[in-house]
Amino acid sequence: MSSMTHTEQLSVRSRRQIDGWRWTGRIFLAILLIFTVVPIAWMFITSLKTGFAAMQYPPQWWPAAPTLENYTRLLDTRDSVGQDFLRYFFNSMYVSVLTTILAILVAVPAAYAFSRFSFPGRTFLFFAVLMRNMFPAVVFLVPLFILMRVLGLVNTHGSLILTYLTFGLPLAIWLLKGFYDNIPIQLEQAARIDGATRFQAFFFIVMPLSTPGIIATAIYSFIGAWNEYIYAYTFLTRQDQMTLPVGIQRFFSENATDWPGLMAATFMMSVPVVVLFLVLQKYFVRALTEGAVKS
Amino acid sequence: MTTSRYRESALAAMRRRTLLKYSVAAIVAAGWAGGFTSAMAQSVDLSKWSPEYIRSIAGTETFDTAGTCGKVVPNDYAGKVSYWYTGPFEADPVIAHEQDAAFWEAFKKTYPNIETDVQSITYNELLDKFRTSLLGNAAPMVIRLQILGGVEFAAKGYLEPLKPEDVGYTTADFWPGALKSVTWDGVGYGIPTNNETMGFIWNAKIFADAGLDPEKPPATWDDVVAYSKQIHDKLGISGYGLVAKQNAGNTPFRFMPTIWAYGGGALDEASENPTYEKAQLNSEGTKAALQAIYDMYVRDGSVPTSALTNTQAENQAPFIGGQLAMMIAHPAEYARMLDLASKATGADKEVADAVVENMRYGLIPEGPARRAVVFGGSNIHVVKAEYVEGGVVDEQAVKALICMWTSPEWSTKLAWVGSNPGNLGGFKTEWMKERLDTIKFLDVTTSMLPSGIPFPVLPYAPEIMNIIVPDMMQNVLTGTMTVDEAAEDAAAKVDALSSGGI
Repeated sequence: MSSMTHTEQLSVRSRRQIDGWRWTGRIFLAILLIFTVVPIAWMFITSLKTGFAAMQYPPQWWPAAPTLENYTRLLDTRDSVGQDFLRYFFNSMYVSVLTTILAILVAVPAAYAFSRFSFPGRTFLFFAVLMRNMFPAVVFLVPLFILMRVLGLVNTHGSLILTYLTFGLPLAIWLLKGFYDNIPIQLEQAARIDGATRFQAFFFIVMPLSTPGIIATAIYSFIGAWNEYIYAYTFLTRQDQMTLPVGIQRFFSENATDWPGLMAATFMMSVPVVVLFLVLQKYFVRALTEGAVKS
Repeated sequence: MTTSRYRESALAAMRRRTLLKYSVAAIVAAGWAGGFTSAMAQSVDLSKWSPEYIRSIAGTETFDTAGTCGKVVPNDYAGKVSYWYTGPFEADPVIAHEQDAAFWEAFKKTYPNIETDVQSITYNELLDKFRTSLLGNAAPMVIRLQILGGVEFAAKGYLEPLKPEDVGYTTADFWPGALKSVTWDGVGYGIPTNNETMGFIWNAKIFADAGLDPEKPPATWDDVVAYSKQIHDKLGISGYGLVAKQNAGNTPFRFMPTIWAYGGGALDEASENPTYEKAQLNSEGTKAALQAIYDMYVRDGSVPTSALTNTQAENQAPFIGGQLAMMIAHPAEYARMLDLASKATGADKEVADAVVENMRYGLIPEGPARRAVVFGGSNIHVVKAEYVEGGVVDEQAVKALICMWTSPEWSTKLAWVGSNPGNLGGFKTEWMKERLDTIKFLDVTTSMLPSGIPFPVLPYAPEIMNIIVPDMMQNVLTGTMTVDEAAEDAAAKVDALSSGGI
């Protein structure tokens, strides 16, 4: 060791420091991974148990007799549990998809306008839109309920779609405005010089470049609507209107809980969100890359 | 100044009116609880109430439900009724689902021209959803609420007066304590559908392993403390299944029996003639009960550490797993365990059968003052038309539904695994006999009925029972306050609530 030069000694020390940080990072990530994966894994394992096995103490880390009965029951249209679950699933999908579509339809032109046009009160309006998201959702619960009652929308999916839009739009507009701000205006000007109208320049030049933003916004809107509980719980009382987060309450009774059924329902509830993210993630990354090249 | 003086005077008048209302309610309640029992001839002889008597009257009479209700509302009546209740859900035993389905089939057969719009809403959601729907004028015509629920809505003017005579029965057909729970300001606002009391279950094997008599439950609450310690010290598992979750209906149902047994109370609901005027949470009896749970949780560590966040449902797993020896339990929990055992497969089956085999059930322990249990259950109510969706209540269709639901036949069948029939005639039916033969735990909980004490019949009773009492427990168990401080604090909150504060 004594034959090592000062520079070599520094290099070794530096490498050790890097390795130390790298291992600290790995351990930190491993802990994070455990916190993320273990609950999901436990949820899945419990969904494969019978009611009795789920209540064993100490718990069975893997069921002695795994069963898919909890899943088949949820998907069985002849069983009342399956009928209800699928109805809630469809309701959630309907509300979430419609909320997402409407949010994109409104947020895209609104964000573009905030980004490109100069008009009196633009800054004030932009922050006024954002102001909505600076208060906890529960603050608006009673006023919105009264509003829905006056509009005759209580016990309709319209009440949820409208409400989710009021929450989703501000952030959607804010997110998309950021994307439009980063797209060079010269691209649109070039298109205009080549004869495109403002709408054509927006539709054929700006829209494709803002795809990552639109996809990110769509994912955000969909997940927000898919998981929402408190408004759905308040606005809907009819079983046939309920969405999944409220509907899965039926696994809780006064004196007992059907844990395997609940876990199976929760696992299935997470599937569309995971699939959506996995599918759109590809486009999301590709669009990001394409945007970078064009810039 | 004028406005302020007016406001003060109005407030004073309002408090006087409130006090008057409570006094009337208390007098009527006292009547139900005491005088009426002896003065009125009940359908069954409540003075003879015992497991033997219950068995002796079961199956002695038959009832023609369709015929009886047909006299109240003709069977060919055409109309519509909307109804909310907590029906069976996924965690409930299969037989509860079957009985529920059978009722709706029978109703359709009896009243083929009455259209039904039925919503089954979970226990934890029903009250909130009902409150919301009343604000939105979207309530159902008929609702079945847990025993504590009705008075709140009657006091706020949401419910129509309703008594057994309105649907073809008599007051004598129902348990006096249950009728007390639907009476507000001297007027009845509902009919009891089921009367619920609990029992005490223990694991005989754990008792034997800990050196206790496996066939003998603790006779007193002091015994529960001692047994719990012995079990924990010898076996390292939890003795008693304490439940102390805040804002949970389960908690007062499990702790008030201890308070009453030691001679305490929230108000004076355990007394012969309750007036509900002064808080009793700072009484010596309540403090003794608090001391008992303090001893188990803090001093001995003999109850689950998760008791602070546990509802009864969380105690089932350690009980089934042999990690918890004894607890207050609902008849439905026994049925649930049988159900789980029947569905267990493979190696689990043997364990499940052993658990059921070792399960014993007995009366809830007594205390220096009495043996007590919460007189629970549910009542059926009619909502005023202005709060109902569409603004109309079809009175005949409503009566038809209530007559069927509260009949001896269906009040027995619909309470199959969980309760006692609201209509006392149900105890005489063949179905009661069948229940007694198949649900072993039932005769114990039914025998607890005379020890049943209803929660105070006050609109703010849920606040006392679900918030103040659990908070008091938590203050003691977490060491935030001493027993005396927690009791005084809770009593002050109840008194403030009674005088219109908080």
